Amino acid sequence: MSGPSPASAPDAILLRTSINGDAVSVAVEPHHTLLEVLRYQLDLIGSKQGCDKGDCGACTVQIDGKPALACLTLAVHAEGRAVTTVEGLGDAHGGCHPLQDAFDRHDAAQCGFCTPGILMSADSLLRRNPRPVSRDEVREALAGNLCRCTGYTKILDAVVDASEVMHGHGSDDAKKEVAQ
Amino acid sequence: MSEHDEPMPTHETGGHVGGVHRKVDAMERMRGVTRYTDDLKLPRMLHAKIKRSPHPHAKILSIDASAALAMPGVHAVITGRDLPTPYGIIPWTPDETALCVEKALYVGDGIACVAADDEDTAIEALEKIDVKYEVLEPLYDPEQALERRDNQINPYSRKGNLSKKVLLEFGDIDGTLEQSDLVVEGDYFFEGTTHAAIEPHCAVAHVEPSGVLTVWSATQVSHYLHRELAKVLDMPANRIRVIQPPLGGAFGGKSEPFDLEFCVAKLALMTGRPVKLLYTREEVFYSHRGRHPMKMKYRTGFTKDGKITAVDAFTILDGGAYSSFGLVTTYYSGQLLCAPYGFDAYRFHSRRAYTNKPACGPKRGHGSVQPRFAIECQIDKAAEQLGLDPIDMRLHNDIGPNAQTVNEFRVGSNGFSECLRRVRASSSWDAKRKELPYGRGLGVAGSTYISGTNYPIYPNDMPQAAVQITLDRSGRARVFSGANDIGQGSNTMLAVIAGNELGLPLEHIRVLSADTDLCPVDLGAYSSRITLMVGNACLEAAQKLRRQVTTAVGKRWDVPRKRVTLADGQAIDREDPERNVPLAEAFQWAEADEGLLSATGSYNTPKDRHGDYRGGTIGASPAYSFTAHVAEVDVDRSTGIVDVKTIWVAHDCGRALSRKIVEGQMEGSAYMGFAEAIMEQHIVDPGHNGVHPGPSLLDYRLPTFLDTPDLEALIVESPDAQGPYGAKEAGEGPLHPSIPAIANAIYDAVGVRMDSLPFTPPRVLAAIEARAAREKAGELEPHKPTLGGAQETA
Amino acid sequence: MNPFTLVRLPTLDAARERVSAEPQRRTFRAGGIDLLDRMKEGLDAPDELIELHAIAGEHGARMRGIAATEDGGWRIGALVTLGQLAGYDDLPPAYGAIKDAAGNAATPSIRNGATVGGNLLQRPRCWYFRHSDLLCLKKGGYECLAVSGDNRFNAILGGGPSFIVHPSSLGSAVVALDAKVTIAGESGLRTIPADQLFAPPTVDPTREHTLAPGEVLVSVDLPPALPGQRSAYHFAKEKQSQDWPLAEASVRCTVEGGVIQDLRVALGHVAPIPWRSKEAEDVLEGAAPSAEVFAKAAQAALSVAEPLEGNAYKVPLAQGVLRYALHFATSTPLPA
Repeated sequence: MSGPSPASAPDAILLRTSINGDAVSVAVEPHHTLLEVLRYQLDLIGSKQGCDKGDCGACTVQIDGKPALACLTLAVHAEGRAVTTVEGLGDAHGGCHPLQDAFDRHDAAQCGFCTPGILMSADSLLRRNPRPVSRDEVREALAGNLCRCTGYTKILDAVVDASEVMHGHGSDDAKKEVAQ
Repeated sequence: MSEHDEPMPTHETGGHVGGVHRKVDAMERMRGVTRYTDDLKLPRMLHAKIKRSPHPHAKILSIDASAALAMPGVHAVITGRDLPTPYGIIPWTPDETALCVEKALYVGDGIACVAADDEDTAIEALEKIDVKYEVLEPLYDPEQALERRDNQINPYSRKGNLSKKVLLEFGDIDGTLEQSDLVVEGDYFFEGTTHAAIEPHCAVAHVEPSGVLTVWSATQVSHYLHRELAKVLDMPANRIRVIQPPLGGAFGGKSEPFDLEFCVAKLALMTGRPVKLLYTREEVFYSHRGRHPMKMKYRTGFTKDGKITAVDAFTILDGGAYSSFGLVTTYYSGQLLCAPYGFDAYRFHSRRAYTNKPACGPKRGHGSVQPRFAIECQIDKAAEQLGLDPIDMRLHNDIGPNAQTVNEFRVGSNGFSECLRRVRASSSWDAKRKELPYGRGLGVAGSTYISGTNYPIYPNDMPQAAVQITLDRSGRARVFSGANDIGQGSNTMLAVIAGNELGLPLEHIRVLSADTDLCPVDLGAYSSRITLMVGNACLEAAQKLRRQVTTAVGKRWDVPRKRVTLADGQAIDREDPERNVPLAEAFQWAEADEGLLSATGSYNTPKDRHGDYRGGTIGASPAYSFTAHVAEVDVDRSTGIVDVKTIWVAHDCGRALSRKIVEGQMEGSAYMGFAEAIMEQHIVDPGHNGVHPGPSLLDYRLPTFLDTPDLEALIVESPDAQGPYGAKEAGEGPLHPSIPAIANAIYDAVGVRMDSLPFTPPRVLAAIEARAAREKAGELEPHKPTLGGAQETA
Repeated sequence: MNPFTLVRLPTLDAARERVSAEPQRRTFRAGGIDLLDRMKEGLDAPDELIELHAIAGEHGARMRGIAATEDGGWRIGALVTLGQLAGYDDLPPAYGAIKDAAGNAATPSIRNGATVGGNLLQRPRCWYFRHSDLLCLKKGGYECLAVSGDNRFNAILGGGPSFIVHPSSLGSAVVALDAKVTIAGESGLRTIPADQLFAPPTVDPTREHTLAPGEVLVSVDLPPALPGQRSAYHFAKEKQSQDWPLAEASVRCTVEGGVIQDLRVALGHVAPIPWRSKEAEDVLEGAAPSAEVFAKAAQAALSVAEPLEGNAYKVPLAQGVLRYALHFATSTPLPA
């Protein structure tokens, strides 16, 4: 789906939810997914539609802190829950999450289309494990996010690096530009 | 700075080239604010959907859209008759129309398009369009299609179902083969695969009150789209603007016009409202234009000491319903095989057939990935029969730098031997290969690829690439380029070159690309042309500006221009570095002297580096990249599952302008080759009406984080005089050897030759079982006998 | 996806009655993973979705919880997600097979939404069934299109007239673990052995389970673990994530005095139902664990296989998967 149905649809439901910390009230149709409402009604376009069937992970958001596929989540499911999208990922970090910074330093985003979903899955991993993580842990946590550009290597580098920047050893080195 | 630096003596550098850079446009993508095409939303925008043929081959008898048009919320319906002009990305083969006019040629061919208030309404309206078909016999097998002169698939074809035939012969092929010590014969099949960029195709069109049409499209070739829109819409090109918004991956899958771009344009012109069309994932699979399935028959001659003497190749390409780039693909299936190995006799005979399937086209490593698989397996078989080490044998055949290939292409720099040495060392080839037990193996393969082609798709004498740069008094550079950044990082590459010449930090450079109203023409992101061609154009423009700025500064300081250098955001007196001035001020001095600071650079290809025969220009490139891979595999004898553990990728990119971006291209390429080797198959089901059995990102298997091997990127730099700072391509070449390296590693592991792709559990297991049966019958010695004995339990 | 109404009813009975009144146009929604997929494919178009998550009270708690039962067994609610089950550390290792099966299904994000009930009751993955333009036996057509088509992923055991493989990854585990399932029907709750939940295509090729319209799967009930009970789950997939297995095997047993006892073997993704292999059990019951006897059992398990044209490879592959599972369940080292 790429466009909302007319707002006059008779059975629209008022959804009250929290998105990136903001209280949001929006009329949604029962058959619209969270992804459609985020993208086409709220103009939060960071969550991407790659397949609309839960196969690619580009639409991954967090609902109450857990990664969820927005394309397979009915919008009404967000009622009373806290939704975080990539637009809100850096909020607690002055706008730029250490993951985003690490992805930037490692050139871990090529086309960047899968990146928002990957960041949301990776952030969930790092919040469950507030310590440096291993490459195998990252592989497991991101196993539902497809990337077609990178061969995953630079993404693994970046997530491991970010976990080290956030939680300990190696963080001083990693904070420096990898260029130097 | 890295240890591999070999600065080009003729260039002074401002510190960027060869470094590691944050991409100029990545952070906004990671923050979720970049607007890709489907993220565009215009006031009063309509949504369009395409009705597609359920038949693989059918004559369209009638289309009645009246019930759809009568629906509330439906604004317009178009059919093929509204856009009847045939077009084709290759000007010689215009054999498709925006929507089918007379016939549908594959399941999924576009029949009609609806514009409505929203997608739900458009989808409902599609159901109400009544199409009457006369179903025709479909042809799925290319060889059968070539024989069936009575059943012509594509109505615009001039030779029945033969889309293209190329037969080229160099040297005395039959005589040389006869005199060879060893002739290896092999039959290979390369299955079709598709690009599967994560962003589906999308286009938006809008008509201004002045009548100017703007089309935003997820395309990788804005210029060709611009040309074809003008042709099919019968509008002057100067009334059309094409913008490529940031793109979510392409890999060749967005390198020609698709039905959606023509449809949104036409519907916007008809309704006066903006129109958007986003493909479903299913439509992406049906639109395809992916890797051609190729059936290849090879005879390769060798001397006793492993020199290749002759190559004789016979290839059938399954083209699908339309030509796409097929003319070029057919040439590439032979023309790109004549390096990195030198040999004296070569013949290739390639035929491309039309079939009732989604059309094939260019996918990363266009046309040459398939024959590369064949030749590298041939060499591996010869090495085994001759008792030679496969890496030694490849070193022995290296054509070397400044060489001429048997098909008369001129090769400049060549780092192939260094690539082989690097993968040999990094993989511990010599020690490890002897020690790996049954089930584990190492394989090697090499390849070459082009850095753009010497001739553009349509004949003209204008530059292949052009860049305009302006400097302003704030100390900023703006780089205008028609090149399409498809995620490969070409915008960053341009910033690196401009910044290097002008001494600017990358954040003071704005790259504005792929907008036909703002930017000079560029031919687009294909054939790995951008770094070399657009990079050269950018370098020329930046150097012109550099001269203007250093002249103005030299005048103020009363020193010769050459004493002034631009670096770290400053103009500096080389002989008295204490004397310096911020670049913003230097730009102001130059603007005061010269007027607005703006320069253009153009690049055109050398015209003396190709063969002097019909077709001798196709595949000739200003510079060639070289690659070698070693793959390590673990083959499960019980399930046939091939676990690729590591691929070592050494790639000669001439000069790495931005190291991590180059590594990313190498890793992404090796991944994509690995994926084709192990799991990908783009097929239709001939038993059930030619439907695609699994048009989803679930059923079409793409490797996940858990499947992809460790990828070790080893940059090799053998600077080429043709490239900017010596740079050659890195985006496609490193894909090629993945597939044969894995095939050869499987042989090393379990003693079975996988000559057909992909190497899925059914095929590998069947091959292992077949070998076991032959071993049991005493026809074969056990593979790796000392280590393999305990494996057999079933 | 077609428009529909969402209905939230607080009691199990009300939800059940709502669907049984008009099962053609109403259906339950739990995780909604497979349901939304089918609706987006156009395979299903219900007017009304009844939200099982809305059920409150005792039934709701039972459906959402994992708990030890009075008899010493464990009860896993049908609305428990695969992610919750896979990460539930208190479930004794005797039931490891079901945890492993849950933890290896699909992808992490899908496991966060997909439920145990939904996994057991999802529709088949066969691409002929999933293709909206094709009318296969499962959708009321005349023949199973896999027979004449690309059947590399289809059944090698118990096929006919439909040759799907049962899509549930929990299926082989619940059968091997001798689980029961509790179902809410017109006459209240009833509990049946798990293998009676699954219906072979000979009964009705359009259905994969025995629930009557409007009936609700409430929980999976694991019996008390036998003293020394072990279990294992193993699979082979083309891809290590986000893929359906080519074959899987679940094994439960005890090893007492050096011999295998209380053995149950079930294979997944090889038959239209989770496939209990009596043949393998007969070879192994009372035998000492060894690579040789496992190979023999695996051969016996697949001796009744009848592969289609394109899936004979699944015979040796399933043998391999079962051998691995037997090694893991009995902690017998793999052959070198």
